[in-house]
Amino acid sequence: MSASKPILRTCLSTRQPSLLPKVQCRHESTARRHKKLLALPEAPSYTPSRSEPSLIFNPPSSVPSVYHTPLKFLPKDDKRRQMYNAALQYSNTTALRRQSSPVAAPGTPLSTSSYLPPKPSSSLPAPVRTPYEKKYHLDESQIAEIRKLRLGDPDKWTRVKLAEKFGCSQFFVGMVVKVPEKAARISAEHAEAREKWGKRRREAREERERRKVLWGRDL
Amino acid sequence: MKRIPLSRCTSHLQAAPSPRRPSCLYAAQRSIAARSNRIQARFQATVSIPNDGELEVELPEEPSIVARQPAKPKTRQSRWPTPLEKLPSPHPSAAERSVKLHALRSRLSLPQRFPLQTLARSLVHPSADPNPAFNNASLSILGRHLLGYYTTEWLMCNYPRLPMAVVFAAVDAYIGPKALATVASEWGIEAAAEPGGEVDPGLLQFMRIQSGGELPASLRRQAPWSWNVTTTHKIMKTDEFGSDNAAPGPHSLNSTPVPMEEAAQSFVRALVGSLHLQLGAPLVKRFFRDHFTSRHLDIGTLFDFRTPTRDLSKLCAREGFEAPVARLVSETGRLSRHPVFVVGVYSGKDKLGEGAGSSLDEARTRAAAAALKAWYLYRPLEVTVPSSTEGALDTSKWRPNMIDCGEVIV
Repeated sequence: MSASKPILRTCLSTRQPSLLPKVQCRHESTARRHKKLLALPEAPSYTPSRSEPSLIFNPPSSVPSVYHTPLKFLPKDDKRRQMYNAALQYSNTTALRRQSSPVAAPGTPLSTSSYLPPKPSSSLPAPVRTPYEKKYHLDESQIAEIRKLRLGDPDKWTRVKLAEKFGCSQFFVGMVVKVPEKAARISAEHAEAREKWGKRRREAREERERRKVLWGRDL
Repeated sequence: MKRIPLSRCTSHLQAAPSPRRPSCLYAAQRSIAARSNRIQARFQATVSIPNDGELEVELPEEPSIVARQPAKPKTRQSRWPTPLEKLPSPHPSAAERSVKLHALRSRLSLPQRFPLQTLARSLVHPSADPNPAFNNASLSILGRHLLGYYTTEWLMCNYPRLPMAVVFAAVDAYIGPKALATVASEWGIEAAAEPGGEVDPGLLQFMRIQSGGELPASLRRQAPWSWNVTTTHKIMKTDEFGSDNAAPGPHSLNSTPVPMEEAAQSFVRALVGSLHLQLGAPLVKRFFRDHFTSRHLDIGTLFDFRTPTRDLSKLCAREGFEAPVARLVSETGRLSRHPVFVVGVYSGKDKLGEGAGSSLDEARTRAAAAALKAWYLYRPLEVTVPSSTEGALDTSKWRPNMIDCGEVIV
């Protein structure tokens, strides 16, 4: 929307002589121009097209309701599939029909070009963690090798190093071979370290665990 | 299929008429009319009354005369040698004169043909009156099963994908003991301080626990039905709430002091049972819709996922969707003390759920939980519950309900 455009713009200071053609740039330098720029139209939901009183539905942004089943989760024969398709088609066509150059809208800075806005891209947002494919590439001999190395010197061949060497996950190394003695030793070390915690740190950690349980309950 | 009146089906199960005291005045008046026509009369009592001698003490001597002239308070003292204070619960003839019962019947929008004597009987807990012909034990058993049937049926048809643990929790939230006690208090049911024949029959009659006294043994926590309890065991063997302990049966609470919650829930159940017997199933279904399913319950808050991300990927693998990928939709204040991340879970190009959190892990987990909830809380558009077609000749409105293959088991 035009309202979100920055009002102050930095003018490119071209010290060096440029070969580009000189373009006239009209700024909002006068009070009148500035006032015209700031005269923003109301949000579309507050300006009904009809004169008779109507309901205004303009809720604040919020988490989508879990009672609205996503399209993918609907059964094949559900009527909502056709209804969603029809709604999508309608919104697409109306959006295309209403699309106009930003210079035609009030409140647009005078220096805006008259090109149409770019189409919204269909690319998805970036993944939180890099997705990976499971390879299932280790065979029996390599798994035996992992076992031999890990049981031979568990302190040198940790799960991390074995996972790097064989290109698998640490979880898989733990599945293949277990070293209960080392696990007991490490957990005893951790318990000893926890003994040294003061009251504040211990309570903070316990509180964090309790909050973590609430993630799955959506509280 | 022709509908058969329930009373005709079950009349052989009902008690033989008691010669001593009519179980309720309504029945007594009808029996008088019927006897004059030499027709076998049907009585309201649903339990056969044992003919033991100890009951004779608390009964009036000439019940037929009392029944014939119920509204004459002048002759009451002479007709009833037993004083009212000796009766364990109010006499059925007092129901017609009770203002509270008239008000309760109007408040619940029950039709005038629903007899006040039955309403009065459903207010008498077995702890007040151990005589099964005058307390609500049998009616509350019937009402409990009706409520359980209508609630589970409504839940299973409206939310076909709910996991069993959530179904149990939802049934407990709709018709559990606490919910029924709340319903009773919202209907304006008040409890008598002490049950007895002289008390207004519009009050809930039950024996209270003495303050500071011990809970009776039957109400205390008991050993579970079985120590190794699986979901299948809960479905097959336990009650509609999937509880580990059997709640004490109404007949086992004779003359035992009980808490108010127990008495109030037995009243609501007995009222549903007596409505079914007196007015028929269609009215009970309307009553159930108005007073129970109209109560708002956010089923989405009943879920508790331990590993939502794992469950969601198992679900997507089972249903043949692409593996779910968490994507960062928006974020603010990543380097500040209170960052907010909004993460969406996508399967292919479709967004399944969205969650916000103060760390990426939290937002991801919440988004997966939201996606799982969106799967489980699917609601079909048109639902016809099976009980809506019972006794109906025209079955063209019936639509088969969706049956899901079950919850995700990791």
